[in-house]
Amino acid sequence: MILLESRGLCGGYGGSAALREVDLVVGEGTCTVILGPNGAGKSTLLRLLAGILAPTRGEVTLLGRPLPSWRRREVARHVGYLPQFVDFSFPLTVEEVVEQGRAPHLGPWRPPDAHDRAAIRRALERMELVPFARRPVRTLSGGERQRVLLARALATEPLLLLLDEPAAALDVRHQMELVAVVQELRRGGTGVVLVLHDWNLGLRLADQVLLLKEGAVVAAGPPEALLCPKLFRSVFGVSVRLLGSDTAPPYLVPVGVA
Amino acid sequence: MTSPGRDAALVTLLLASVCGGLALAGPAVGPADALAAFTGHATPEVRTIVFALRLPRLLLALGVGAALALAGAALQNLLSNPLADPFLLGVSGGGAAAATVAYAALPAALLGAVPLAAVVGAACTTAVVWWMARGPLGGSSTRLILAGIAANAFTSAIILAVVATAPSTRLPGALAITMGSFAAATPAALAWLAPYLLVPAAVLAWHARDLGLLALGEESAAALGVEPGRVRQRIFLAAAALSGGAVAFAGVIGFVGLATPHLCRLVWGNDVRRLLPRVATAGAAFTALGDLVARRALSPVELPVGVITALLGVPFFVALLRRSP
Repeated sequence: MILLESRGLCGGYGGSAALREVDLVVGEGTCTVILGPNGAGKSTLLRLLAGILAPTRGEVTLLGRPLPSWRRREVARHVGYLPQFVDFSFPLTVEEVVEQGRAPHLGPWRPPDAHDRAAIRRALERMELVPFARRPVRTLSGGERQRVLLARALATEPLLLLLDEPAAALDVRHQMELVAVVQELRRGGTGVVLVLHDWNLGLRLADQVLLLKEGAVVAAGPPEALLCPKLFRSVFGVSVRLLGSDTAPPYLVPVGVA
Repeated sequence: MTSPGRDAALVTLLLASVCGGLALAGPAVGPADALAAFTGHATPEVRTIVFALRLPRLLLALGVGAALALAGAALQNLLSNPLADPFLLGVSGGGAAAATVAYAALPAALLGAVPLAAVVGAACTTAVVWWMARGPLGGSSTRLILAGIAANAFTSAIILAVVATAPSTRLPGALAITMGSFAAATPAALAWLAPYLLVPAAVLAWHARDLGLLALGEESAAALGVEPGRVRQRIFLAAAALSGGAVAFAGVIGFVGLATPHLCRLVWGNDVRRLLPRVATAGAAFTALGDLVARRALSPVELPVGVITALLGVPFFVALLRRSP
């Protein structure tokens, strides 16, 4: 089943279209990875897909219905979004932040019930946050904060997760943990779209990869089809070598500025 | 302390402020006489002092305190900034400037519009401060405080101009708006204040969960189902009506909106739905007790209540500033 689809999607900030003509289909239980250099429009694309930013042209459909015809809260129930940056000026605790993930299901008045509390508990456990539950988030490290926000997105139990650089501040073990979580979600039918900076992590996770440069899709397809040093060189401006053997998966290594 | 225990402490504080405001507010009527007024055994003079003077003043202090505390809590969450406060952001100043202009310039028959002018002034200042505080990369504490300084400087200039040029019959009233005092409390003023408190309070209660989500910024809230544009507008108007209403009936009183929500968060956590009624109660009690101190500290001279709230609130603000990232 197709969860989310964009056709001819354009949009951005401050008049100039940061993103041009993006076509994308996200199916049930699939993982889409968006790669590209800084300023390529990756975060803008995620915001457009989440309906947080309105497109200047083109459209996004969620479960076949155009995004603007949904109520914001209904979209939030189906689409979890992990922003790249969240302002933790307030001394909210880990538990309070993760609880926010249930808000789309609760509306203005309904207090959390047993099902909501179980979802919050599972998200805290999955992200190994139980020992921190009562700590203010602003006392945590960057990677721990990222896990808190990921737990919040998981607590929503959405059909689709849009994650903006979820691995950026994670240590290696928690990156592997993230990989495991994404695989689990896919097996459960959740669609996942990730913005990543780590090419190889992306190529390993993805069913389809979108390579963005200067607001346009340069290449899109299954990871095997994109394993081309020339392509990565033209997109990222670095010389790239492709390593691999019979026993190890192919690996792209940047070796210097091109 | 358990949660019911903390609530009981808050209610006790409120009752203390009510009893203090009725029984200890001046040397003319002591606690025994005030009690007699309620049991029907007091002289007409005592009854007048308690029911026509002290009771309206107490109710005004409670209402204004609740309004300012709610406005502060709403602005803090809306701007995801713990330093937001109607006084510091110039919102109260904007309300006071508009109210003094209206008070000095309107014909006597239209003086009923002064509160509305205060609300409009507060709303305009809120919008301008918000606009100033948001740079191309979003808002920051520094920008917000700077925007508040600019707004306060501008509105002070307007107030000074009014004071310098107002007709002498209107000068005391115009000055009272800038000083902060509950001395002008009448049953009519209370009836006027009620909608400025109750309607915005209902709006905030309806959006309590949204306010909680906005504490982590607009993008984060939008991702969880808040329609930022519409919700922001409503909360802004509610905060402006609360601050403007408070200014119109009691003048400028600072730091209630800053200190009260923070103290309540320390005690009850960050769940805005739990927090709002407690913030309103604590703000009411804090302001009523502040007024009591203002009346008795240097008796028979009466201090403006804003002096007391500032003397208590500024050290609190300094502590908060030191702790903020």
